[in-house]
Amino acid sequence: MDNINTKEYSPESPSMKSRLSWLWSEYSVIIAFIIIFIAASVMNPRFLDINNQLNILMQVSIIGIIALGMTVVMLSGGIDLSVGSVLALAGVISVLALNASGSILIGVFTALLVGAFAGFLNGLMVAKGRIASFIATLGMMAAARSIALYIAEGGSVSGEVSGFTAIANNNVWIFDLPVLIFFAMAVLIYIVMHKTRFGRYVYALGSNEKAAMLSAIRVDRIKIGVYTLIGTLVGVAAVIETSRLNSISSSSSGAQYELDAIAAVIIGGTRMTGGRGKIIGTIFGILILGILNNMMNLMNVSPHLQGFVKGLIIIIAVVFQKRE
Amino acid sequence: MTSQPFVAMNQIEKSFNGVPVLKKVTLEVEKGEIHALLGENGAGKSTLMNILGGVHQPDSGQIFIEGKQVTMANPHISQTHGISFIHQELNMVGDLKVYENMFLGSEIRNKAGFLNVEEMCRQTREILAELGVFLNPKEYVRNLATSYKQLIEISKALLHKSQLIIMDEPTTSLAEHEVGRLFELMRNLKKSGVSIIYISHKLKEIQAVCDRYTVLRDGQLVKTDDMQSGNLEEITKLMVGKAISQERFVHEHEFGEMALEVERLSSPGLFKDIDFTVRKGQIVGFTGLAGDGRTELFESLFGYRKKYTGTIKVKGKAMKITHPRTALQAGMGYVPKDRKENAIIKDLSVVHNMSLSSMGNFERWGFIQDKRELEKFSNYEKTLNIKVANPRITIDKLSGGNQQKVIIAKWLEADTDILIFDNPTQGIDVGAKQEIYQEILELAKLGKAIIILSSEAPEVLRICHVINVMYHGEITARFMSDETNEEEIMHYATGAKREGEHIG
Ligand SMILES: Nc1ncnc2c1ncn2[C@@H]1O[C@H](COP(=O)(O)OP(=O)(O)OP(=O)(O)O)[C@@H](O)[C@H]1O
Ligand SMILES: [Mg+2]
Repeated sequence: MDNINTKEYSPESPSMKSRLSWLWSEYSVIIAFIIIFIAASVMNPRFLDINNQLNILMQVSIIGIIALGMTVVMLSGGIDLSVGSVLALAGVISVLALNASGSILIGVFTALLVGAFAGFLNGLMVAKGRIASFIATLGMMAAARSIALYIAEGGSVSGEVSGFTAIANNNVWIFDLPVLIFFAMAVLIYIVMHKTRFGRYVYALGSNEKAAMLSAIRVDRIKIGVYTLIGTLVGVAAVIETSRLNSISSSSSGAQYELDAIAAVIIGGTRMTGGRGKIIGTIFGILILGILNNMMNLMNVSPHLQGFVKGLIIIIAVVFQKRE
Repeated sequence: MTSQPFVAMNQIEKSFNGVPVLKKVTLEVEKGEIHALLGENGAGKSTLMNILGGVHQPDSGQIFIEGKQVTMANPHISQTHGISFIHQELNMVGDLKVYENMFLGSEIRNKAGFLNVEEMCRQTREILAELGVFLNPKEYVRNLATSYKQLIEISKALLHKSQLIIMDEPTTSLAEHEVGRLFELMRNLKKSGVSIIYISHKLKEIQAVCDRYTVLRDGQLVKTDDMQSGNLEEITKLMVGKAISQERFVHEHEFGEMALEVERLSSPGLFKDIDFTVRKGQIVGFTGLAGDGRTELFESLFGYRKKYTGTIKVKGKAMKITHPRTALQAGMGYVPKDRKENAIIKDLSVVHNMSLSSMGNFERWGFIQDKRELEKFSNYEKTLNIKVANPRITIDKLSGGNQQKVIIAKWLEADTDILIFDNPTQGIDVGAKQEIYQEILELAKLGKAIIILSSEAPEVLRICHVINVMYHGEITARFMSDETNEEEIMHYATGAKREGEHIG
């Protein structure tokens, strides 16, 4: 891979032009977000309504939490296709634990634990088994869904403990709790990626694995950590998903979440092969997806066509990345 | 020879992010001459060549080919003007085969439009043979030693029947005999009218093949002249602004206790029955030709390779080293060779590359302190004379030699008792080389045990106390560095001496 730089510089004002192109390459997703945001407010006056805005945030919070983890995985040079299935599995098992114990705390912990454990297994397969992450997590995707279906006998399970639904349906001031959880997770992951050695190692590993290892980094442990981290975040997402309707479906919950999460990461500018990308980018990536969904709903675009628009946006995002 | 130079670069200027890198540089290369482009690390040699090769655009200035003004808008246009470019850093695709790399982007097809694999393989074999390399063209590049990758990179440029070949430090990974073959080839090319721009920090090479030279300093043209009239000392002075002594560097001082003892270390196919010891304060060198196994030996010692037998004692304690991390914890540091593959994290900033192996030094309550990193880096920036306008840019924006200095800083920062340097001065200019030797010597004086791997016998002769010569995975000789010379070392490095013993 060569990083040949073929940007044009005009002789008159090289620094001005290069500064603009730097701004564009660093923050293109934010610029795209602003453009889309303005376009949306012009096209539909209801878009700017505060309730609609809060609604968008609520809509993206679950995928957003998963996408944060996906960013970390993709920065490390991997991918996790199992998030949707693991979400269903963690949801199903946690509801059973919730009902059996009557304790919300135990329910929540179970979800986190199941998610983390599934992620840990993914990490083991990738790091120790040297299986390509695409394959390992594809296997997990099928396996976790199947176990969820088996446990729930193909149907849904519902919570029987009052108060559990409060997690996803309560507000703090004007914000829904899931939105705040998403924000909190975003801040947490941001700090982990930029202020701790774990984050530094993830970037190093995604950029040049051999050099990372020769820098005395325990590459295997970092990989296991990365998949365990996304698994735990999927557990958090599972709690919210379950709590929202007080039930989870073993067959349909979480379906295609991996696609939306990966889309958000790519739109956010993270490089597919790892080593380069930003948490901030992913947050704006998920917001762009949220606005698009919202606009299509407001404008009564057929839900069947919404996937088409999403696909188009992903491809445009990747084309722009290539250009860099 | 025509009166017109083949290529003329006129008043070229270039700056990156407002920092000027080239200031009104003029360069003329005649038809059929080998022109040396010289200068310190970061002087702007590669940048000037990147402009000629269409990789970068100049801010101002013109380029003429045979008197006609041209715009090198991209590398492809440069190629159609008959210019080939061997880049400083290797650009092989490891997952492709040798011939696929050679013909990447210019594949030969037969009439039906299918790839003509046989023809490509034949031509690959032919060109490699000119350099004395006999490889299976269908071998995957990732399986090859770096010196082969570099030779393939050179062959790739020869493929295009160019009129001008830019060689940006083509010999950094090559053994002496491979360099010799390359020079023969260059002389032949010259005879057939091909011009060559040759960049290297090895002045001996420059004197051997170049007709004229141009010296750059801080992005400015210092001098262009014929090679005969300028002797090496004078050129060095032009480059770094002072004379550089070529004398032996080592000073005798008392060695401390045993730091590292290696006994009967073997790894099938790589090295066999290796015994040696290093004391605190001692500088031990390992040299040999390509394929002598010294890099593999120390990669094993450092825990990167795991399939070996034998014992390793660090400070008297037997250790099982299974990972570079355990090696670091045991007190070993390793500056690997071939920085692009083994050392550079190109997406991390200069500072972050420096701190990567010693994060503990920069943490408080588990959080990285940016300020401490920057402070530490500015220390190394001074002591190692690292040229970088802004240490927060990614490391791949640095000149090759400056990247190498950052890697050395990284391991100095890890502050281990045993430091292994594999080809530490790869791509480093003569002045900075001196500073790095000085730094190594200081470390030894402080009581660190130092191991230096180098393909250049003069280098180990200059800075080591003890020299081990390796051949085909075995240590064939061990000398005190003041009791031997280059010739004797070559005897053992080529296996000539050892074979005699075996027969007898
Ligand atoms: N893409 C870039 N962005 C910013 N700065 C750059 C870029 N490329 C080169 N530079 C800067 O330009 C200067 C000259 O670099 P160049 O690579 O031309 O040096 P060089 O003479 O080839 O040195 P070396 O002998 O170490 O290879 C350096 O200070 C380097 O940091
Ligand atoms: Mg260079």
